[in-house]
Amino acid sequence: MGIPEIEDAGCLLCFGYNGADSHPIVARRIVRGRQKGMKIICADPRVTETARISDIHLQLKGGSNLALVNAMANVIWTEGLADTKFIEEHTKGFEDFVKVIEKYTPEYAEPITHIPAETIRKAARMYATTKPAMILYGMGVCQFTQAVDVVKGLANLALMTGNFGGPAMGIGPVRGQNNVQGACDMGALPNSYPGYQNVTDPEARAKFEKAWGVSLPGEIGCPITHVPHRILHEKDEKKRIHAYYIFGEDPAQSDPDLAEVREALDKCDFVVMQDIYMNKTGLYADVILPAAAWGENEGIYTCADRGFQRVRKLIEPEGDVKPDWQIIAEISTAMGYPMNYKNTEEIWNEMIDLCPSFKGATYEKIEKYGCVQWPCRDKSMEDKGTPYLHKDGIFGTKDHKALFYGTDWHPPVELENDQYPMTLSTVREVGHYSVRTMTGNCRTLRNLEDEPGWVQMNTGDCERMGLKKGELVKILSKRGYCITRCLPTDRVEPGATYMTYQWWIGACNELTTAKLDPISNTPEYKYCACRVEKIEDQEWAERHVMELYDDIRAQMGIDTGKGAEA
Amino acid sequence: MNYFVKGNPDLCIGCRTCMIGCVVAHEGKRIFEVDPDSYDFNPRLHVVRTVRLSVPVQCKHCENPACMAVCPVGAISQKDHCVIIDQDKCMGCKSCMDACPFGAINMTERKGHVQADGTLKKTANKCDLCYGLPGGPACVRVCPTEALALITEEDLETAMERKRAETARNTFRENHPQE
Amino acid sequence: MALKQVQTTCPYCGAGCQIMFTVDSDANKIVEAVPAKGRTNDGTLCLKGHYGWDYLNDPQILTRRLRKPMIRKGGKKAPLEEVSWQEAISYVAKRLKEIKEKYGPDSIMGTGSARGAGNEANYLMQKFMRACIGTNNVDHCARI
Repeated sequence: MGIPEIEDAGCLLCFGYNGADSHPIVARRIVRGRQKGMKIICADPRVTETARISDIHLQLKGGSNLALVNAMANVIWTEGLADTKFIEEHTKGFEDFVKVIEKYTPEYAEPITHIPAETIRKAARMYATTKPAMILYGMGVCQFTQAVDVVKGLANLALMTGNFGGPAMGIGPVRGQNNVQGACDMGALPNSYPGYQNVTDPEARAKFEKAWGVSLPGEIGCPITHVPHRILHEKDEKKRIHAYYIFGEDPAQSDPDLAEVREALDKCDFVVMQDIYMNKTGLYADVILPAAAWGENEGIYTCADRGFQRVRKLIEPEGDVKPDWQIIAEISTAMGYPMNYKNTEEIWNEMIDLCPSFKGATYEKIEKYGCVQWPCRDKSMEDKGTPYLHKDGIFGTKDHKALFYGTDWHPPVELENDQYPMTLSTVREVGHYSVRTMTGNCRTLRNLEDEPGWVQMNTGDCERMGLKKGELVKILSKRGYCITRCLPTDRVEPGATYMTYQWWIGACNELTTAKLDPISNTPEYKYCACRVEKIEDQEWAERHVMELYDDIRAQMGIDTGKGAEA
Repeated sequence: MNYFVKGNPDLCIGCRTCMIGCVVAHEGKRIFEVDPDSYDFNPRLHVVRTVRLSVPVQCKHCENPACMAVCPVGAISQKDHCVIIDQDKCMGCKSCMDACPFGAINMTERKGHVQADGTLKKTANKCDLCYGLPGGPACVRVCPTEALALITEEDLETAMERKRAETARNTFRENHPQE
Repeated sequence: MALKQVQTTCPYCGAGCQIMFTVDSDANKIVEAVPAKGRTNDGTLCLKGHYGWDYLNDPQILTRRLRKPMIRKGGKKAPLEEVSWQEAISYVAKRLKEIKEKYGPDSIMGTGSARGAGNEANYLMQKFMRACIGTNNVDHCARI
């Protein structure tokens, strides 16, 4: 499905996805859909902007996603709302799936999800009976230790109601960063070459070996979230990470359990950082390679709905910087594996000829049509790409059938306890991007929101603790603590707290847990136990925050009028 | 009749693009080049978020403005369909802020206007419908979800006509339930 | 003043909005950004799209723009020293080679970038890790 199609859906199930803060221009489609009469079911523990305009808000307890999804499947099946023809013709494994969901009656799910059984029934009925129905999900699904199971659970809902293979239906992950889809497409993944061709597939490996003129390893590589462990605790010298080449990322800010990340970067023999701005990871880098930024180089991004689009040079970079691709090519050449490219189009042409799904997406075509959604297999101008996948219910499996996959719900890893009685979930700040080295250096975006950020808390909890709006508070987990401002709001349920992850002082990743989903290796950013403490001396706290801010800025090479430099 | 900008909570996603748009319109494009501490960031509208509501709130440009009536120095005037504060005339007495029933006026510091005691002068700040700026109210133009609209006399007239027609139809239906 | 219009893709979030920039190429600076009619954004932008480009002129707000290659010659705690590109590239190549020879290719980890760098640079990064270093240890922040 594509972003423009969202507004044409009859029903939208918006699950753990807060478009208003993460992608306002996708949220615009949801709002427009609503105006056209689209039914909205919003599953989110907070009253998000989408929840606010929804027909049914499933305000579930954080960490209960799969219990809710399985209960919806249970209702659709037991009330005879499933599309049995679609299930028969296009899917496999339904009977086994039914065995799993049998026990997930709405009454069984109610105490887990904190949603009344009747509301779950209503939502399931609305989703199953309004066509076409679309599912959008976001990090509220992915950033749990039980993440992939929930994605499959949502796909089950779409399969059992026949919502695949046509416009304005199906299931869509709305990817966070601008080119997260592109980095995956290009094979910046430990298990796949460009175009989702597996490194463990001998045929694919042989193709890339031939094209690149080398022999290639067949074992899956190390996922990024395993790196701290592989530096600090790996016993096998051949597997321990001794060198870390970090390109356009800031793990010392964005990764969970920052104390562990800092220790790992410190212990790693050789850290190379390639970036546009100084950042926290730079403090641990042995070498810093300055790159040209967005706006200073050419290339192609892939947006969330598989669309290849051109990004163009606006201005010449100042200083002694080079485009990212050129730096990598020069290092490779210096190491004895020559890479000679004149421009990004040459690289692109090499890549598409190795990837059947991208083969037709030439620069010429992307220039002409503005956007080409893959798969695009033919270079002729007639192949304009593919707006939605699984057309007419034909799936990408060997027998073209989709597989049901049912599994049981399990709770998050770190639950509330006496010492840490509240929960923390990390969320997005609408005006800041990622670790904010870009937006934090934009004048007006900085004016709108700045350090130390906010912790969103239920007004009742705030009253109980005597906390006012804007007051500085200390928030702690068993891994660390930080200082931030209190934001009382009834959009948040009692006992829960929410923080955005780009602040240095209000750095919520000091608190988060590095426990991972076993398949996606994504950390459980959306759930850990925490405690909020009142700070009696607010004057001191305000001063302390300012001092911390000045210190870090000085470390980042900003002249704060106080001298200190990195 | 005065014009006004109206926010629609069914469309607003609370993103506050309008607030930055407002500042950029009043400070000018130089804002993206100058020293980051040298300009004023004083939005003239404010996004309000309650449990079930998100919407920008700003001056309604009243026909008989209470703010104008109470201003002791005549800093508030009506011209070209809007109510405007002359910030150079404003003495910072806050009477207008008190008088406004909608919370549309706030007191803001102005860079470069240093008082005798070294502090920055605070003056009354509110929506001026981007008076004198090309393209009309910036908040309306930049809103990604078209949640803001400039309402003119003609718009109101059209809306009232529509409502009257609806009323007439309803009355007819009440009298002739079978049709 | 030589003004030109350049359309490009917004660097923030996966919505893939199109923005039309007016650029003064003599002064090498951006004059204005307005929404373009892209497939996904349809002539609209959010606050980051409208107002998120002036970091390019290095306003010294949060962090300093990196302008020269740097090496921490005296080890982890030593200060960063500016060096030439030639020195930086050959130093990185030498250290990576040493580590690869001593501990094997799987002792080296590389990342792609889901942000500004673009697809071509990501393709080259994974090619570098796989073909030159000889490991599948390459990943990016999709997980985080």
